[in-house]
Amino acid sequence: MNKKYLLLAGIAISLGIGILFMPEKNTEKQVQPEQLLAAINDPSRFLSTDDITDRLVKKDPALMLIDVRPATQFSAFSIPGAVNFPIDSLLTASIQDMLNQKEMDKVFFSSSDLTSDQAWIICKRMGLKRIYVLEGGVNKWFNTIVKAVKPAETAPAEAMELYQFRMAACQHFFGSREMGANPVATAEKKEVRVVKKASGDKTGGGC
Amino acid sequence: MVGPLIPMGVIPETWNNVIALLLGGGFGFALEASGFSSSRKIMGTFFGYDFVVLRVFFTAAVTAMTGILYFDYMGWMDASMLYINPYYVMSAIVGGIIMGMGFALGGFCPGTSFCGIAIGKIDAMFFTAGLFIGVFIFSELYPLFEGMYNSRNLGGVKIYELLGMRETVFAFLLIVAAVGMFYGAGFVEKKVRKVEY
Repeated sequence: MNKKYLLLAGIAISLGIGILFMPEKNTEKQVQPEQLLAAINDPSRFLSTDDITDRLVKKDPALMLIDVRPATQFSAFSIPGAVNFPIDSLLTASIQDMLNQKEMDKVFFSSSDLTSDQAWIICKRMGLKRIYVLEGGVNKWFNTIVKAVKPAETAPAEAMELYQFRMAACQHFFGSREMGANPVATAEKKEVRVVKKASGDKTGGGC
Repeated sequence: MVGPLIPMGVIPETWNNVIALLLGGGFGFALEASGFSSSRKIMGTFFGYDFVVLRVFFTAAVTAMTGILYFDYMGWMDASMLYINPYYVMSAIVGGIIMGMGFALGGFCPGTSFCGIAIGKIDAMFFTAGLFIGVFIFSELYPLFEGMYNSRNLGGVKIYELLGMRETVFAFLLIVAAVGMFYGAGFVEKKVRKVEY
């Protein structure tokens, strides 16, 4: 047998014996308890239903809306565009792979805040980044967006704008509810007014 | 803690592809230097006249493993940050059978076939053409395989976790097994009639 081989085999085995004496370490990755507590007290993880709706309408590719309710409830009704990862399946490898996308904003929601917040804590402990909770869950989303309440006449302009946004978003998701009777007849014909530019306007500019 | 260099941000992530290219070039060089661009040499493993494939790959595995374990112990790198390929059980079994059959029939694996092309081997060119035909067929029929392809994902598991063993014990046993195999391979090579190539 070649002497060089014997030497190399000896080195390999002695390095292996060295490895045997290495201390065992805890390889479970999780955030420090103090950090977790600070994160739980920080309300910035809650996103409003209007914010999420706005991003859904604009088809934000970085938004990952996750329904943590059981599959039966998800198939009954959910927010359009959401995926269903029931909370008891969050720790499976394939779902972990999907949650482990750095560039996505993962937003959990359930019927209210309760289950989604649990899902958030599980994922936070595993060190996932960019995770949020939809405030109020699917119930609040339904009440604010689908059943938007028209503000009083005396309400400020912002409230009116918000209402119009919610109505438009609802139409975006579910189509118009006003189209029932006779859409052609109710459409009011608008007079087209052509604004003519005054001739000889000095401030008109040009190139 | 310095490594792993890219996840730690020592090297910006945009350098990923450049470094991959350099490492790939180094890998190709090592394959060619070990004689892997010859299909006859690779086939030696199946017929018992040349175990260079076994030697090179086990040496590489044992060297890398020992290096990672010591670097991690010294605190030079955080081994838990290394990316581990997810283990899809069904894909691994079926893909392993297909790959093994192609390996035994053609005398190349994908990496070595490109090495063979680089030095102008005609059989490597045919092999690579077949490889691309296989890729094409797989891509076209992907919807048929999709369910099986994605089934039983165990995530980034490690073999000693599956065996319920300590990491260090497994590493030691692997080194001993590698050295034992090198010795056994030399023994078989002496017994089997030498093939000229």
